[in-house]
Amino acid sequence: MISAQGTATVERLRDEIREVRYREATTTFCRLVTEEDRPLRATIRDAISAAAPYVQVPSHMMRLPSGEMRGVNYDHTILGWRGAIALMGELGGARGVLPNVQAMWYVPQGLNVWEQVVCEFPGHYARDGEQCNRKFPGPDEHVNRFDGPAWNVPKIYFQDHDPIEGGSVEDRLARMNWAIAEGDKAEAYGLFLGLAKQPEYRERLKDAILFAGIIDLQDTIINRGGYQNIGHKALRARALVDIADYLGWDDAHELMYTVVPDLGCSPHLHGLWNEISNICRIELPDQAAIPKRSDQPLTEPELDALTEALLWGGPFDVNAAVVALFRRGAGILDIGDAVMVCFQRYLIDVLEHPNAFLHPTHALDYMNVVQSWTRRHDNPHQVKGVFLGARFMNDTIRSNASFPRDPNFALEPRQAYHGWADDIAVDRLLPVLKRYVLAQDAPRSCALVDSYLERTPERHDLLDTITYAACHWQNDPHVMRNCASSLEEFRHNRTSRRDDIIRGFVKHQSRYVKRAPTHDCYQLYVQHFQPAEAA
Amino acid sequence: MSAPIELTEAWRLRNATATALALSEQQMRHAVSGASVEQLVALIEAFVPTRSTGPDWTRSFEPLVERLWAWCDDATMAALAETFRARGMPWMAVANALSPEHGARLRAELRQPSWARFPAFAMA
Repeated sequence: MISAQGTATVERLRDEIREVRYREATTTFCRLVTEEDRPLRATIRDAISAAAPYVQVPSHMMRLPSGEMRGVNYDHTILGWRGAIALMGELGGARGVLPNVQAMWYVPQGLNVWEQVVCEFPGHYARDGEQCNRKFPGPDEHVNRFDGPAWNVPKIYFQDHDPIEGGSVEDRLARMNWAIAEGDKAEAYGLFLGLAKQPEYRERLKDAILFAGIIDLQDTIINRGGYQNIGHKALRARALVDIADYLGWDDAHELMYTVVPDLGCSPHLHGLWNEISNICRIELPDQAAIPKRSDQPLTEPELDALTEALLWGGPFDVNAAVVALFRRGAGILDIGDAVMVCFQRYLIDVLEHPNAFLHPTHALDYMNVVQSWTRRHDNPHQVKGVFLGARFMNDTIRSNASFPRDPNFALEPRQAYHGWADDIAVDRLLPVLKRYVLAQDAPRSCALVDSYLERTPERHDLLDTITYAACHWQNDPHVMRNCASSLEEFRHNRTSRRDDIIRGFVKHQSRYVKRAPTHDCYQLYVQHFQPAEAA
Repeated sequence: MSAPIELTEAWRLRNATATALALSEQQMRHAVSGASVEQLVALIEAFVPTRSTGPDWTRSFEPLVERLWAWCDDATMAALAETFRARGMPWMAVANALSPEHGARLRAELRQPSWARFPAFAMA
C-alpha cells in the first residue's frame, strides 16, 4: 500500500506528474477526489493540464546520425483519458472511476516521448520498449531508473500560443486544414483556438479536425519501420472532441494544447487518401449523395465476400469489394458496420500471438473514429472514410501475415471448452468469465462468451464484465480505448453479426500482451474508492 | 432427379485440380527429399518480411513446414532447427516451427485414413 502524507493538492499532483512519480501522482489524484471532494471532472482537467506542455515532439520521425530514421511514438496520455471518460458511463458508479485511475497512472509515464526513446527521460517507452536500463543502468542494478522519478525537467518542444481570430469561418477552417497538412503547427493551433472560442462554430470545427486526422493515414505498415502513424492522428482528433465535450469547451484550453499542434507534426501521410479520392472520383461520381443508411443493408453472402477480401485479399480486393457495395446501393454506415463485424473474424479465428493484436486493434479504433464521425457529422467525404478504415484493417492483417507463425503461441480452439461453458448456469457465468479474462485464458474466456451469447439475449452485463476485467491491467491506455471503441460499435451496429464484436472484444482482452503482470493501480483504486465487489 | 450440370462440372474441375495438385506435391516431395540443408535454409530464409514476395507467400510457411516434417529425416530437421535457433529472437518463430516437439505434433496430426494418397496437408 502506498502511504500518502500531507494534504493532497493540485499543485502536488502537478509536481508528481512532472517528476514521473506515477504511483504518488495516482494516489494524490485519488485523494483529491475522495478526501478533498474535488470533482472528478476538475481533477481530470488538472492532470491533462499538468501534462500538456510535455507531450509534444519535434517530429514523429527522428533522423539518426547515420542518416536513417526511426519512428517516435505518439502521446498516449490523452487517449487513456478519452477511453476512460467514455467508459465512466458504461461502468457506472465507483466502477466507472477505475478506467480514470488507470489513465492517471499512465500519464506521468507518457511524457517527453522524444527523450524517452533516446533514454534521456524515464517512462513507459524508455523502461519497456527501449529497455534503457540495460543500456544505461544506474548505480543500483536492482532499480530500473527508467521507472522514474525523473532526474531532469521534461522538455517543452512547442510553447503555448494565442488564438488567431478574424476572417470568415470558411476561410479559417480552410487555412487550419492547410496548416495541419503542411505542418505549420503554430498557425493550425492558433486558428483552432480562435474558432473554438466561438460556440456557434464548434460543430464545424469538430468535423474539420476529425477530417484532418482521418485523412492522415499511412498506405501500408509493411516493411515501413516507423514511417506510419497507425491512425494516431484520427485517434487524437477524436480524443480532443470527446474530452472537450466532457470538460466543456471553455475549460479545455490545455486539452487543445495537448492535441492540436501534434496533428500538424511530421510525417504527413496523405498517399492513401489520394488513392481513395481518385477511386471515388472515377467509380462513385455521386459519392456526396450516397446516404448514410439505406434500405439495402448487406446480405449474408455479401458479408462473407467482404470478410474474404478483408482477411485474405489484397488492397485492390478491398477497394473492389467496397466499390461494389456502394455501387449496388448500400449506405455509408451499412458498409462501415459490415467492415467492423467482418474484421472481427480475424480477431476471433486467426490471431494468436499476444504481440500481434497491437496493429489490428489500432485499425479497429481508427474505424471507430470514422464511424462515429459519420454518425455525428455531415461531410461529403465520408464515403472515403469507409475505404480508409477497411484498407487499414486489411493492411495490418497482411502485415502480421508477413511474419511466419510461431507454433509456440498457438491457442487451443475455443470450441474445445464449449461443453464446459454450457455446464455453467447463465446467472453464474459472468463472475467465471471475469476470472478467466483476468487469468488471460483466451480459449475459456471465448467459450464462455460463445455460450452466454447463445443462451441469453442479455448483453449489457456481459460487456460490463469484460470491460471491468480488462481495466484491471495497468500501464496501457490502449485497453481503455479499445473497450470504448468496441462498446460503442456494438451499440450502433445494425448487421446480423454484431455479436461478433463481443467475441472479438473478449478474445482481444484475454490475449493481448500485457505491459505489467501486477494490478498495483487497481489495488490503489480499491483502497480509495472501495467498489462493491472488493468488500 | 439427376444432379444439375453445374454441380457435375464443378466436381470435375475439382478433381482435375486435385490431380494437378497431387502432381505438384509429388514434385515438391522429390525436390525437398533431394535438397541439402543449405538449400533448405535458403528456402526458409525467403519467408522473412524483408525477402518475402508478400503476405500470401509468407502464409505458405506453415504448409511448407508440414511438408518438411513429412519428407525430411530427423537429422536434416535437427540441422535446420539448430541453424535458425542460433540466429536468436528474430528467427524464434521459425526455430519453434522446426523444433522436435512441434514436429512430433505435426506428424501425428498429418496421419490420414488408408485411402488417402497424401498426408493431411494444409492447402493454404
